[in-house]
Amino acid sequence: MSAEICELPAHEIVARLRTGDLTAEVVLEATLARIEAVEGGGGALNGDPNGANGIHAYITLAEERARAQARAVDRALEAGDNPGLLAGVPVAVKDIFCVSGIASTAGSKILANFVSPYTATPVVRLEAAGALTIGKANLDEFTYGSSNESSAFLPTPRNPWSAGHVPGGSSGGSAAAVAAGEAALSLGTDTSGSIRQPAAFCGIVGMKPTYGRVSRYGMIAFASSLDCPGPMARNVKDAGLMLLAMAGADAFDATAAKVPVEDYLDQIEGGVRGMRIGLSPDFSRLRYPDADTGELREQVLQPEIEKALLESAERLAEQGAEIVEGVDLPAVQYGIPAYFVISRVEAASNLHRYDGVKYGYRSEGEAADLFELYRKSRGQGFGSQPKLRILMGMYVSGEQYEKRYYERALRVRTLIRRDFERAFERVDAMLAPTTPTTAFEIGGIYGDSVAMQYADLLTVPANHAGIPAISIPTGLDDSGLPIGMQLMGPDFTERRLLRMGRALEQLQESRPPLVQERVGA
Amino acid sequence: MPEFEAIIGLETHIQLNTDSKIFCACSTDSWRVPPNTHICPICTGLPGVLPSLNEQVVEKALILATAMNADEISQASFFARKNYFYPDLPKGYQISQYDEPLAVNGSFELPLPEGNSRHITIIKLHIEEDAGKTVYKDAKRLIDFNRCGVPLVEMVTGPDFRSADEVAKFLIRLRQLLRWLEISDADMERGQLRCDANVSIRNVGEDRLNTKTEIKNVNSITNVRDAVQSEIERQMREVKAGGEIKAWTLDWDDQRGVLSKMRSKETEADYRYFREPDLLPIQTSPSAVAATVSQLPELPLARRSRFSEVYGIPEYDAEILTEERSLSDFFEATVAAHGGNPKRVSNWVMNDVLRLIREQDTLAGELGLRPGELAEIIGMVEAGTISSGVGKELLEQVRSSDRTPAQIVEEDGLAQVSDASELSETAAHILEANPDQVAAYKGGKTGLIGWFVGQMMQETGGQADPKAAREILESLLEG
Amino acid sequence: MAPPEDLVTKTQQSDPTISSEIFRHLVRLAALELDDEEAEYLRRELNQQLQAIRDLESIELPTDLPITSHGVPYSSETRPGLRQDRAEPSDKADAILEQVPEVEERFIVVPDIPHTELE
Repeated sequence: MSAEICELPAHEIVARLRTGDLTAEVVLEATLARIEAVEGGGGALNGDPNGANGIHAYITLAEERARAQARAVDRALEAGDNPGLLAGVPVAVKDIFCVSGIASTAGSKILANFVSPYTATPVVRLEAAGALTIGKANLDEFTYGSSNESSAFLPTPRNPWSAGHVPGGSSGGSAAAVAAGEAALSLGTDTSGSIRQPAAFCGIVGMKPTYGRVSRYGMIAFASSLDCPGPMARNVKDAGLMLLAMAGADAFDATAAKVPVEDYLDQIEGGVRGMRIGLSPDFSRLRYPDADTGELREQVLQPEIEKALLESAERLAEQGAEIVEGVDLPAVQYGIPAYFVISRVEAASNLHRYDGVKYGYRSEGEAADLFELYRKSRGQGFGSQPKLRILMGMYVSGEQYEKRYYERALRVRTLIRRDFERAFERVDAMLAPTTPTTAFEIGGIYGDSVAMQYADLLTVPANHAGIPAISIPTGLDDSGLPIGMQLMGPDFTERRLLRMGRALEQLQESRPPLVQERVGA
Repeated sequence: MPEFEAIIGLETHIQLNTDSKIFCACSTDSWRVPPNTHICPICTGLPGVLPSLNEQVVEKALILATAMNADEISQASFFARKNYFYPDLPKGYQISQYDEPLAVNGSFELPLPEGNSRHITIIKLHIEEDAGKTVYKDAKRLIDFNRCGVPLVEMVTGPDFRSADEVAKFLIRLRQLLRWLEISDADMERGQLRCDANVSIRNVGEDRLNTKTEIKNVNSITNVRDAVQSEIERQMREVKAGGEIKAWTLDWDDQRGVLSKMRSKETEADYRYFREPDLLPIQTSPSAVAATVSQLPELPLARRSRFSEVYGIPEYDAEILTEERSLSDFFEATVAAHGGNPKRVSNWVMNDVLRLIREQDTLAGELGLRPGELAEIIGMVEAGTISSGVGKELLEQVRSSDRTPAQIVEEDGLAQVSDASELSETAAHILEANPDQVAAYKGGKTGLIGWFVGQMMQETGGQADPKAAREILESLLEG
Repeated sequence: MAPPEDLVTKTQQSDPTISSEIFRHLVRLAALELDDEEAEYLRRELNQQLQAIRDLESIELPTDLPITSHGVPYSSETRPGLRQDRAEPSDKADAILEQVPEVEERFIVVPDIPHTELE
């Protein structure tokens, strides 16, 4: 395949802009042309669920904003000014971030008409670094899902590796856009795996930074104690570059830690010699509740994923890493139940503000009184996934249940955190599959809220512990769907994780089939 | 018929006088500002926003907690979300504190007119954000978010008050203390000090607490007294008539002076509190608490007793002089500069200085008249250098000029005339000009001496020493 | 407000399910208007989720195990400082009002709820 401009790595775009080999406008137009070729129309309220066999990664395109940014970058270059770390790099912003003057929908009817008067801190920083905000990527409604099928904006994104499969979620549009060359980078969010799982499903790199590493200001909240904005990219170095542009304390986020930001790129080619990388049986023994009886069943990993895990360990060992087997993390098996409780309590509260009074959807016609206005606006504006989270949150945080469920879940979180603290006394990072399976079929799980949640089984422990984790593409399964492996490290060790990820990554040599169909192999 | 007593507890909301709101940089001052102007994405709860805590809120709340003798100030206190739907609450939850508030277990000794005091327990003090304001119009509610996010301390007392009058007295003391500490302007009409009252009644001698009602939205001390009094009377009527008190929430309509019952649906409470994940705990180190305690000024009630003990001034004087911190500082500095009888200083401050303060609508410390200058004026009057009338006029002149009292007296020739020859000359002149009065005096109307002294004062522009003038007049008239 | 009787008794049982009565209570708290079909789907899913959550109750937790509010602990070095008390006007007030469905003379308008006056 002859690499097109829209498929260039972000770091190469920046380098070639600086040598005068490329302009931001050329990069932007190439990317818009790719969108035109493969997108097949973005998601819309009341859109056709079946779509036009395209990628359908976006909800809103922001060509005018991106063009103005591209011109500014080119002017800076001409004037000899520093155009920034991400000069001329097209970025798809998950539509959970507020961007001033553009619709910020969260994939929900209740915010479909909301135009934010302010811009989220990570987006402010990306744009200040010269990035081009090319559009808002589709997502599960309010990020509630692992397949992107719950968005109110249809058609929902397709997996570029197979139109019949989901791209994962909730940052599904982001992953699909990056994989299909519709953006070089995407800003995603990860609450229980929403960056890493779609990255794994779409064959790209996705990183959940340490909680508090990247400001959450302007990210429409899901579970505030778990939410992490983070980079999605086609390679590890680009992910590091993007993180570098966004990370750091923020006066608008009281939980954004005052930890100095390291140079994520200077040692990225340094290799893994002497590093200790752990494997845990607790990331291979998978406990699912049976859909009919609710009884817990133990399942094994999809064989190709098991195989990819061992190959990844070998690959790291060959480069001089010490693989430490049998690291116990017994509490991670409670990750999903604890997450069911914590995330629902926080989500229900975070969704209180959508009431038809201040912004967003307001029910049609006269409401008899204030509470009817609330009920109708929320009943009509929210899809079933937000409603489920609200109701469960109401249930488990009720005064009579709070200790039984919520407080207990927060203490289970302590157990998970302690497991990782103990593990990191022995190893520098843990290696595990990102997902129990490769991408599932569209409609295969959607509607079964429990099974959908268990898609995050392997990713959610890092969210509970707050630690950074990066998903790396490591090949394809037998049906040609991407497999991802994740590395999890101690707090604020993003630099080392990126370096390990660089040693592990196996970049795809071919375009995803859906892209091939449209633009050739 | 048994005798009833009222049992009242208060939940006060105190607006801290910070410049910016508790979680954003919007101004807290929205008095007479058009609706929805001092607002931003944060205080209107737009999607994606986060709170960022104002440092001064913590500091001022801590000052209040120490002044209220809170013996347990948490080293780490937590914010919590109080979730409920209401249109003046833009996020659908209020950021407040719940299970681990800033401070618990305080107390306040409320002086009563009988000379004893009522021990008021302060159950807890916590920090929270204010909600918006609702205006009713036709069948609509109009919402103004200017007040959203204004910092409040909620202070909850025990059920320790026994009358509406005690409640009013407490609020007066609280207002005094808040202004004294310079942490709140405590203007009830501007909503800077608000009070909900829990009211129940019981037979005298009983220990148990009966069902209480809660009165909300009262915006002046008089209204609190009236609302509580009217609710006590209503409960007594109800119980005497064999009725039952129900746990209602009552809304005080200050325009019409009546209580109305809020619809139960509106007051249904299931707040589902949980820790606010967007904020870290407030860290209050023991050393920070110790520093606050050591920097705490002498409090008004303590100063009041000290004034009457140390300076020997009447209780009444001490009360007035400690109503406001700046005045009490002024008094004390004047006593020190004067060095003489504190009661005389008190008289000057309570009569003349207070009048000037009211005329100028200012504080004693900003009046322009320094304690040393007042002491000098009092000293000159006491020494007979100037008359007390001139002394009083000097207050205003010193206040509004850069000259010292002594300079003014000298340059404007205001010194009292007690020189006998000068006075005799004037007196002779007056007697000559008023033969009728002289005749009357000599005819036995000796009371006219006052009139003659008055003429002398008029003639000398108030500078004559009245005592000396009288003696000279008498000797001339009787000679 | 006291919870409905059955909410209390249900929690004593080892097999919690969300009855239609509890469900109605939750829906009312959540201020959601639902049609029957959606309500049925939501209640079924809630009960399945509750089964998954039941797993939590069987975990033995040391009694002194603290709760973790955020996975990452904050130290005095990593905690961001508090905000300085400086008022700065926002320029977004009008843009915020532009998003409001119903505005009257800069006020946000909502329907009323009547009060009942005491006799």
